[in-house]
Amino acid sequence: MAGKLSMLIVDDEPSVCFTLKLIFEKEGFAVTSAGSARDGIKLLDSQQRFDLVLTDLHMEKEDAGLELARKAKELKPTPLLVVLTGYASMNNVRAALDLHVDHFAVKPMELPELLEAVRRLVGWRIDARTVGS
Amino acid sequence: MTKVEYIPLKSNNGLIVHPDLAVLSALQPVLAKYGFAPMVARDLPTALLAISQHRFDLCILSMAISEKADGWALAAVLHMCFPHAFVAMIASNPDLLMLQTAINAGVTQLYLAGEPPTVIGEAILRDYLKWSPADKLQ
Repeated sequence: MAGKLSMLIVDDEPSVCFTLKLIFEKEGFAVTSAGSARDGIKLLDSQQRFDLVLTDLHMEKEDAGLELARKAKELKPTPLLVVLTGYASMNNVRAALDLHVDHFAVKPMELPELLEAVRRLVGWRIDARTVGS
Repeated sequence: MTKVEYIPLKSNNGLIVHPDLAVLSALQPVLAKYGFAPMVARDLPTALLAISQHRFDLCILSMAISEKADGWALAAVLHMCFPHAFVAMIASNPDLLMLQTAINAGVTQLYLAGEPPTVIGEAILRDYLKWSPADKLQ
């Protein structure tokens, strides 16, 4: 994971998408955003590689983000996967656990907590892949 | 500087951390049956000592070891030390917050505490065999 890490942000609320994009660009990520799960899946299907995918759950339909998460988990190499939702339920959190999502945050979330979680996950992933660099 | 790729060598070591001796006694032969060298701990210091001296592919934890909910912190430590490992948590009455905590602590799967320990052990091993740790390491 040399150079800038790439991130895909998927959220149907333009203000959330825009804010997260600004924040994570400031963190040093190369950010691509999508306004729906459908558009996000198209990007995952393209040749573009993402190190981290951050997605909302409730978009054009309920739990549309889970379809995107499933798609992301099929990719090789598998990107880190962070789910954000304002509509957490036993069903969608259970599904996220079964998908081995890396982080699950409930809106409204504390931004420093999300940033810390992303930094930790990225650090762990780099540690897990590379020894002695 | 040269980068060395992390290779998840299979250790066949299994760690069981549970305060109930009966549960440990029931799970130990299940792990052995599937080819694991099971190590057991009834408290956090013993578990940490085992973690510092061995490499684990499979970890089975109680949600409450010495005190209520301290199993989550141990799960997070195990996930950090052994990112390739399957971390199974035995929990009672999982609610939404508990499931969220499980994800964020790096728990691979939750199992209900109400079942007999051997049934839980068999379910964990079945899930472990289906699980691909390579997903987490690419």
